[in-house]
Amino acid sequence: MNIKVMKFGGTSVATPEARMTSALRVISAKEQGFQPVVVVSAIGRRGAPYATDTLINVLKEIDPSVEPDARELDLMIACGEIMSAVIFAHTLKTLGHSAQAFRGGQAGIRTDGVYGNARIVGIHPVSLFNSIEKGAIPVVCGFQGVYVSGDGAPGGELTTLGRGGSDTSGAAIGAALKATAVEIFTDVDGVKTADPDAVPNASTLRKVTYDEVAEIAHLGAKVVHPRAAEIAMQYDIPLWVKNTFSDDEGTEIVKREKHPGRRATGVTHTGKLVYLQFDLSSAGTETERTELEARIYETMARYEINLFMLNLSPNSTGFAVPRAQYSTVADVLDGLVIPLKGKVFLFQIGRNASREVETQATLLESLGDVRRVVAELTEGCTMVSLVGHEFMQTPGLFFDVLSTLNDAQISVLQTSDSDFSLSVLIPESESNRAVRLLHDRFKLSLVS
Amino acid sequence: MSRTSKFMTEPISCDMDSPKSTPATFRETEFEKRRGVSRIEVRTGFAQVHVSEIAAPAMVGRLKVLKAVSEQQVSIDFLKLTPSGLSFLVSEDRAGAVQTVLEASGFSFVVSSGRSIVLVHAVNMRDEEGLISRIVQTVIGTNVSVDHIGDMHDRLLLVVKDADAAKVAQRFRESLIPTELER
Repeated sequence: MNIKVMKFGGTSVATPEARMTSALRVISAKEQGFQPVVVVSAIGRRGAPYATDTLINVLKEIDPSVEPDARELDLMIACGEIMSAVIFAHTLKTLGHSAQAFRGGQAGIRTDGVYGNARIVGIHPVSLFNSIEKGAIPVVCGFQGVYVSGDGAPGGELTTLGRGGSDTSGAAIGAALKATAVEIFTDVDGVKTADPDAVPNASTLRKVTYDEVAEIAHLGAKVVHPRAAEIAMQYDIPLWVKNTFSDDEGTEIVKREKHPGRRATGVTHTGKLVYLQFDLSSAGTETERTELEARIYETMARYEINLFMLNLSPNSTGFAVPRAQYSTVADVLDGLVIPLKGKVFLFQIGRNASREVETQATLLESLGDVRRVVAELTEGCTMVSLVGHEFMQTPGLFFDVLSTLNDAQISVLQTSDSDFSLSVLIPESESNRAVRLLHDRFKLSLVS
Repeated sequence: MSRTSKFMTEPISCDMDSPKSTPATFRETEFEKRRGVSRIEVRTGFAQVHVSEIAAPAMVGRLKVLKAVSEQQVSIDFLKLTPSGLSFLVSEDRAGAVQTVLEASGFSFVVSSGRSIVLVHAVNMRDEEGLISRIVQTVIGTNVSVDHIGDMHDRLLLVVKDADAAKVAQRFRESLIPTELER
């Protein structure tokens, strides 16, 4: 059976015209001898009437001070894909093709049961095969599955898959059905060398490896989710990213062995971050410094803070945190008092002490040796990354990146690097300019 | 056997003989990568270079260091900016070349040979709240001196002395990897 999984994103199902275009692509695949299996996202993007964020807001607007339960939230937002699947299946019927809509659970998608961020643990696609056997085109809700507890509770608990969930559903169903290909349809021509909003002449990459696309996606490109790429890589399924609304050939995601060769692949940007650099020079001994570091990271772990761009040096440590979590970080660290062997360390966030820190300092004066640990604070940061294939070992690469930004008076707060990428933390206001400069510096408009 | 079984890829398991079996017969698989720490890896053969006391503006001095090193055709990893300088890793067999060029340029620096990278692999670790902090907390708890630390979306890297690498890796395996996974 020559199965092709065709996943359509929000913009590809946003309007009757878009759905018709998408449906005609499905029918075309069928006429070419493929057995299509469709996976759909919710209708429209942020702000659209049935988009995920709109459905979340319906609950939150009841009383913004009461956070909805994760379980109920999942039931709510799953409605977006259910509506989308039913409407898409019906659109296919109006075009003379039998189609059946399936919730994730009905399609046999089993998850680990984490509401709002579930991972797929297995797929039991019997109902999809039965549908195909009857001559129908299955249309599956992306972004959702069910968790079935050990005692086999009837129905199971609906869980959503979190960010990139519909892409993940598409790739996972492709793996379960041993599909010939998985095609991710969106509103751009494929994987680009940069965000076209920042770099209008960004190229469309014709071939990228699973590793590259996973790195690009993790570092900010929104065209395909890394979880989907990881599943496709694991099961060796050909994965394509295509534009619903153009005849561009799109991007083929391939194994490392089929890669065209060493190159810079793209520049991405992601994250609204706050950077904190703690000056630990007030610690008199190595033991005290280690203890202070331990307390900082223990506190971050206790409050489940996500960290980026970590660094340790002999007298300092630093990291970036998501802006959404910064108020928690400030609450727990600013004014924190750590007594250590006859000394008292008082944490201060920012160069200017808050009223709470000054009050603490006054109260602690009688205790003797009070030392401040000041964290320099830089708000409004983002991460810009250069992604490449067999490129990061190039001698002089760090110099090229940092000098390009320095020449343009863009300050770099910190860096991090991996086998596939080099990231810099910079002011968010310079994000697009930095992306453009690096895109030009590495001649990415010539890459394909 | 059910006709559907021919379509199933090996790791996606279910009760093949009973397509209508209850969901309880469904066995957890490694379909998507498991959350949390999955693997610890140690890479050896590195030297840590720490350049300090660079005069302001620090970035100009840092660029001089990077240019000098790149002119020796030495590739570097794990660059970190420090308040008054920078640090990075080089392959141990290129440490001599780096030392020579930095000496010639008059920089204040330390080259520490015999360094290993301990890599803690965890899928989407930046999205797993508190995970990175827990890993750092764990390594600090070993009382091993960590030269540097870095994070990527799927792994955390720690630079330690060769002699300490096994101890750190073992602590991570004991503390962070579930017992049902291979340590």
